[in-house]
Amino acid sequence: MSIANRQLNSAWSDWWAGTRNAELWWTLAWYDVVLRYRRSMLGPLWLTLSTGALLVGMGPLYATLFKVPIGTFFPHLTLGIIFWTFFTATINDGCAVFINGAQYLKQPGFSPSVLVWRSLARNILQLAHTIVLYVPVALWAGIPLSPRMLLFLPGFVIVVINLHALTLTLGIVCARFRDVAQIVASMLQLMMFLTPVFWFPSSLPGRSHAILYNPLAQLLDVVRLPLLGDLPAPGTIRFLMAFTVLNVAIAAAMYRLNRRHLVYWV
Amino acid sequence: MTRLQLENVSVEYPIFGAQALSLKSTLTAAATGGRIGREAGVTVVHALRDISLELREGDRLGITGHNGSGKSTLLRVIAGVYPPTRGTIHRTGSVSSLIDPMLGIEMDATGYENIRLRGLIAGMRLAAIAAITPQIAEFSGLGDYLSIPVRTYSTGMLMRLAFSIATAVHTDILIMDEWMSVGDAEFQAQAEERLRQVIDNTGILVLASHQPALIERECNRVIELSHGAVVQDRPLGPIEPTIRLLSTG
Repeated sequence: MSIANRQLNSAWSDWWAGTRNAELWWTLAWYDVVLRYRRSMLGPLWLTLSTGALLVGMGPLYATLFKVPIGTFFPHLTLGIIFWTFFTATINDGCAVFINGAQYLKQPGFSPSVLVWRSLARNILQLAHTIVLYVPVALWAGIPLSPRMLLFLPGFVIVVINLHALTLTLGIVCARFRDVAQIVASMLQLMMFLTPVFWFPSSLPGRSHAILYNPLAQLLDVVRLPLLGDLPAPGTIRFLMAFTVLNVAIAAAMYRLNRRHLVYWV
Repeated sequence: MTRLQLENVSVEYPIFGAQALSLKSTLTAAATGGRIGREAGVTVVHALRDISLELREGDRLGITGHNGSGKSTLLRVIAGVYPPTRGTIHRTGSVSSLIDPMLGIEMDATGYENIRLRGLIAGMRLAAIAAITPQIAEFSGLGDYLSIPVRTYSTGMLMRLAFSIATAVHTDILIMDEWMSVGDAEFQAQAEERLRQVIDNTGILVLASHQPALIERECNRVIELSHGAVVQDRPLGPIEPTIRLLSTG
């Protein structure tokens, strides 16, 4: 058994060594969730309950405010809130990923990408707790099962790739500059209103459509629309392809340039 | 063949003050030419200077030096945790450290779960961990306690568990910061024997310590660090055979 020698490896093989060790990051993520259950009886189910309460409270009210039929609004809102919570929780966790994992990074042969995957896996497990809320909502709204729903899977892969890249970039930046995490948190709060989490993109007049070209709105579309039985627009796919390439390139460059410094910063 | 070679290794790392840790202050300082933001609080620490070492199978290296002389940094460089700023390191063989046996111990997880977690962090596969779990359980002497959360353990029990896990596998290169001793009188003897076995089975031992007697006893070579540089490097006599006999007997 030979443990990879971190400084001799290229950035790529370092990243791959951590990625490949799924046993490690999956177990760490699994215990993150399981131990939360042990601390309180409902554990992560609290999130299911509070999201459910939020939906029941907001659905009828906003349908009336926006003057839209609740049958179409409620599924839209449900998926909007569920995925938005997933995005923001993952991005906020991403800011702290290396700072909180400092002890692990000082362990021989521990690749930083393990911590990135752990954070993603934990948030996906958490998402599994809230996405179930969509089942009764979809049944109530009479959304038929359609083969288009399968497009959720490639959409989710795009989301995971982008969140991975963002976590890596933000994790490195936040390890160096500790105030970036707060900046990111407040920007996400602002983005929530600029992204059609609650409202319908179709209610935007004319030129204001431009605000839909924010990456989070596009990422939301690519997982939400298939589950509603719709297709994402070709423009969304083109935009996301370009954004994913850019996002991954930035993350790769950040990692290449800074991975040797990272352990000294945390 | 276990081998470890450091060539002209230097380590310099920045310590960021509160100012330099803030993006806002750093940007303000850059934009105003440093007039508004105060001097960016970056201190560069020269932790290691130009260290060359070669260790082969059977070598036992002791590292001495005052606090802050660079012992821990050197141990981390050897472990592959700190990449050298200058110079190169070549290593053949697996490495493990007994520096921080409590790392990754989850207080709400049970003893068995912690064996799994700690084993994974140390670089083992789940199947290999499952295979050695009974040995670890038996050695720790914790019995049924292993099925309840370690939060309920006493400090001594927790150290027993951590020690049992950390010493369960043999590696080619072993890194230690001072001697590990744990538990009550009875467990201490048992732990001492286990540690002896682990050390005897390891290809290369690197031990940092403040106790000259310990280094005399365990090592065949000693270096002294001062301000990150090697100021003395001398061989020590062969390890006393009586100690070997005691350990195996």
